[in-house]
Amino acid sequence: MDISGADLITMARYLAAGLCMGIGAIGPAIGQGMAASHALDGMARQPEMENSLLRTMIVGQAITESTGIYSLVVAIILVFVAG
Amino acid sequence: MLSYNGLMGAGVAASEAWMGIERLGEELIATVRVGPVDVSFDLPAVAVSLFVTALLVAVSIWLRRGLPREREGPLTQRAGFLAALLELSRSQLVAGFDEPLAKRVLPLTATLFLYILLCNWIGILPIPYIVSPTQNLNVPMGMAIMVYVLAHYYALRTRGVRLHLRSYLEPNPILLPMNIVGDMGRTLSHGFRLFGNILGGAILTALAPALLARAVFLLPFAFPVGVGLDLFFGIFVGTIQALVFALLASAYINLAVSS
Repeated sequence: MDISGADLITMARYLAAGLCMGIGAIGPAIGQGMAASHALDGMARQPEMENSLLRTMIVGQAITESTGIYSLVVAIILVFVAG
Repeated sequence: MLSYNGLMGAGVAASEAWMGIERLGEELIATVRVGPVDVSFDLPAVAVSLFVTALLVAVSIWLRRGLPREREGPLTQRAGFLAALLELSRSQLVAGFDEPLAKRVLPLTATLFLYILLCNWIGILPIPYIVSPTQNLNVPMGMAIMVYVLAHYYALRTRGVRLHLRSYLEPNPILLPMNIVGDMGRTLSHGFRLFGNILGGAILTALAPALLARAVFLLPFAFPVGVGLDLFFGIFVGTIQALVFALLASAYINLAVSS
């Protein structure tokens, strides 16, 4: 079986999508973990603040997540749309 | 916008016999020619979205009918439910807002929350073509742009044109392009966040069981993993993302009005 240029492009697309999602997930994961850990610290110290801490933590994590979502969108475009 | 028709063809053709994977990303598109432009509709998304809207309207009317007739009448069950729902959304979505702004924003964001929540939950059903409308980019992006426009409208109404435009020059006029781009990027990520979470969940829900099913000794895990992922992404992620979308919508409006 011969490998043509189109196959190489397909291979590069899948490879790039995997790298994009894998590396792109590192940052948001660390950020979300840090947000959760500090929110837990705060909750342990001041249990009466739990409600507002939880809400702020979820919003903060959602914003942290947007970089991960960008890499997901790029990966989806690479796999499904590009080429 | 982004179109992903017939997308899985090359990728996972080998395992397509499993759990709707051959339907992943396949859409029923109706194209209508209006003058010089082709307008295409994602029929399942439109139908499911209309169904969710009708359901919400029907439940609202039913709840409204359950209210006591006089002001001091005995508290009914539905009135209690309505009051609890209102209090919950007030304490979660518009906590700490000025009272007039909270009154104006709460109906919008509570409606956004309930609509997105039902849209996400309806994707759990393993029925062909019953997918979450929120995994079509046009739906979340349309809502995000609506929130963007409304935030500017409210800001113009409450603060006047001058003061609103001047807020783009703060803290320094050099940062004007930064402020404009940040505004747009915020809206873009607002829409993409919901879209990416729901579509990513749907792809993973279809892909993981298919991959497990390819290895014989992992075959027994394929079904529970599929159901588990479906419930996790549908109920847990769906609820969180609906809450996040509504929270961010009210936060953006509050930021535009009071910054």
